[in-house]
Parts: sequence; structure tokens; C-alpha cells
Amino acid sequence: MPDAAAYLKAISIAAGASALVVLALGGVRRPAGAARWNAACILGIALGLASGGASLQLPLSLPPASALARLFEIVLPAAMGIELLAAFERAPRWLAWGLRLILAASAGRILLHGSVYLAGLKGEWTAWQASIYLALCGAALAMVWGLLSWLAERSPGISIPLALSQASLAGGAAVMLAGYLAGGEAALSLAAALAGAAIAASFVGPRLAPQGLIGLGVIGLFGILFIGRFFGRLSTGAALAVLFAPLLCWATEAPLLVNRKPWLKGAIRLALAAIPLAFVLAAAKLEFDRGMRPLLGVDRPLHP
Amino acid sequence: MPRNLSAFLATAALGLAIAAGAKPALAADDYAFDMVHSSVSFKARHLDISWIHGRFNEVEGKFSLDREHPSKSTFELSIKADSIDTANKARDEHLRQPDYFDAKQFPTIDFKSTSVKAVPGGYEVTGDFTMHGKTKKVTLTLKGGKEIEWMGTKRVGFSTELPLKRSDFDFDKKNIGLIGDEAIILIDCEGTRK
Repeated sequence: MPDAAAYLKAISIAAGASALVVLALGGVRRPAGAARWNAACILGIALGLASGGASLQLPLSLPPASALARLFEIVLPAAMGIELLAAFERAPRWLAWGLRLILAASAGRILLHGSVYLAGLKGEWTAWQASIYLALCGAALAMVWGLLSWLAERSPGISIPLALSQASLAGGAAVMLAGYLAGGEAALSLAAALAGAAIAASFVGPRLAPQGLIGLGVIGLFGILFIGRFFGRLSTGAALAVLFAPLLCWATEAPLLVNRKPWLKGAIRLALAAIPLAFVLAAAKLEFDRGMRPLLGVDRPLHP
Repeated sequence: MPRNLSAFLATAALGLAIAAGAKPALAADDYAFDMVHSSVSFKARHLDISWIHGRFNEVEGKFSLDREHPSKSTFELSIKADSIDTANKARDEHLRQPDYFDAKQFPTIDFKSTSVKAVPGGYEVTGDFTMHGKTKKVTLTLKGGKEIEWMGTKRVGFSTELPLKRSDFDFDKKNIGLIGDEAIILIDCEGTRK
């Protein structure tokens, strides 16, 4: 059963842990370079995810047997490694984006490993279907990752990682309402760790939001939604709406808004990205209530 | 000489018969599950006050029974996890999700025997039981084993009950409570052979 107190505790722990690491590693010696800030944010998120996940007792096993375990033990660590490498000034840009594209292309395959989707003729998909679906998912992930990174370079600020955090929070709630509790709980840790690191970085770091925050935020959000869609009962429409919601941050690049103050642009970005999330959550709640009715026996009154 | 000739002919005839595929009289008999007359059901505690009953609608199985040498017998069972049916569609959907059976990741629940011995009234079968991606050794006591012939088909039936703890199979511990840790699986199978 969902436990609001346990969720609040885990969110506080994850956000606090990631913020403390960013403050400790990033604020010790100034001025800090981009690589240092990036490393601080990535390590902060790693610790936030681990502590939040431990607080929630997420069902993760070694070796990873479930999709959720593969997300936390393979996909996210791989993204952390790539973002750490990408932050070094000596690392060529093509190498960083090459590795990001490889991860985007393979994340879906890793998450579906051993499932009915990849069982060939005996499974739900044929080999061709699997290739097409995985290519589409990889393309969607790469597109969101690329566009948000581009926006962060063009018009930096913590609003982008915060938009990813709020999308993760909403995505997690939608996954939970669709009946997969542990999958949704994992998203709470991700959302809190992202928010903690982003806010801490904004206090002591440069104005530029580290790219690592965006990379981990996008891949984590994609993973939660992908698992919710293919292993839980999250609808395709809801998953896509939540994944693409942070792209609405691009609206502030319109001529009318582009020269506004940074705090106002940030607020507009978060407000716009929240609109599709609100619709997804409202629909998920309605569906949840409809699904729960027969379980609670309210469809069969004793005295008609 | 004639005696030697008849012995040679008898041996040759036996050899030909074996070569032609005739089975020795004491070979193990192979049976396939007749799912019209077999079922795999279960019950689990709800709130520790009552039992919830359910069944799996899609099951495959086969066994090979060697009555002279029971240790040579084998039993296999494969249950489709997403065929769970508790007479409540919403609950069934919930049970298929990763918080419970994770049917997309672990589509089947399997049993394969590793040793069999005869006991009064049936057989004691030890084997590997795989559920939720975790394999554990279990021992079943199969009751029954009587063969009858009905409408040209030979039939053997067995029944057994298998108590299991969900926590032994890596089910999410947080979801143990409302529905109890222990579940009892009831297997009634009828095998057929021509």
C-alpha cells in the first residue's frame, strides 16, 4: 500500500543527500570548473538515488533480474559514466554525443532483456516488431536528450533539470496509479535527487546547469516511463506526454519571451511543462478510481 | 541343427521387432496433461482473516511414468503467469504487474523433477520450482497414479498441494501483508496416452 509518510521521508533523504554532495564537492574550492560541477552533480544524484531507494526498500537485486533493477544497476550508471566523461574539456564533443546516442539506442533493449517482448516467435513481438519499437523509443529518447541539452546551452538555468524532476514526479505518480507501486516509487527518488542537486548547484555553482543533470534526468525519466509502459499498465499516450512535457521549456525561446528575466523564464518553463503532466495525472486518477471500484466491492451493493 | 536354426530365427525376429520400433513391455509410459480434466489453483491469506482463491488457466505438462523403476520417472509442469484468474479482472491485472508476478518479465512458472521415488499411495517428487525468476528445490507428494482406460485412451491422475512462501521467490516484501506470504498451490492433473 502507498505510504505517504515513507514517500516524504525518502524524498527528503534523496534531495538532502544529493544537495549535500553538490555543496560539499562543488563548494569546497572556488572557482570550480565545469567538469568539477558536473562531477559533483552526478555523484550527488548517485547518492540521492541510492539513499532514496534504500529508504523506500526498492526491490533491486544483483544480478539485476527485473527491468527496474537493470535501470538502476546498468542504464543509470552507464549514463553517469558518459556524463562524467563528457564534462571533461579534453573529451571531444563527438565522442560524448556518440556515447549518448549508443546509450539511447540500447537503453530499451537493456530494459526489455529476458522479457516476453524479446522472446522471438514465442513472445509478444516478432524480431522485426521489436527492432521497430526499440528504434522508435531510442529515437524519442535521443530527441528529448538532444533538444534539452541544446536548450541548456542556448539559454541555461536550473529550470530544465527542475522540469525533468517534475516530469519524473508526475510520471512516477502515473505509474503508481496504473498499479505498479515500486516503479512509481523509484521515480520519487529520481525526482528528489535531481531537484536537490539542481537547487544546490544554483546556490553555489555557475549559472549554467550542468549537462550531467539533464542527461541523468532524461535517461531516468525515460526508464521509468518505459518500464511503466511495457511492464506495468501505463498507457502509451501518458508515457509520451510525460516524456515530451519538458520540451515545452523551449517555448521561452519565442520572440515574446526570449528577453525576459531568467527567473521569469524559468517560472514560465515550469508552468508550461506542468500542463500536460496535470492532464496525465487527472486521467490516471480517473482510471485508478474506475479500476479500484470492483476491488473494493462498491459495484455490487448488498441492498440494491 | 534344427534347434539352432529355430533359436537363430527367434533371435532375428526379436531383433527385427526392436529395430522396427516395438517398445519393451516395461518401458516408461509418457503422458501429456489433459487440461480439460486438470487444474492448477492456489489460495493465499487475505488480511490474515480469510483465503483468496484463484487459478491459472493456461498450463502445460507432461510426465513419464516408469512403475518398475520409479526413479526413472520424470514430471514437468509449465504455468503461464498471465493466465491468473481470481474471478476479478482488476485484481488479475494487478497481480500480473511487476509488484507481484511480473508476468512480462517472468512469463512462466515451471517445475521440473530431478528425482522420483515411490511412496505408499503415490510418488514423492523432488525438483526445481521456478517462479518470479527464482529457482528453489521443492518436494511434492503426488497422490494417485492409478491407470484406467476410457474410450481408447489410458489415463493416470495425480493430486498434490505445495505450500510456498512468496518471500522465498523474491516477491516485493512490501506487498506481503495484505496478501499473506504463504500461498498454497493445488495441482490436480490427469495425464493421457494412447
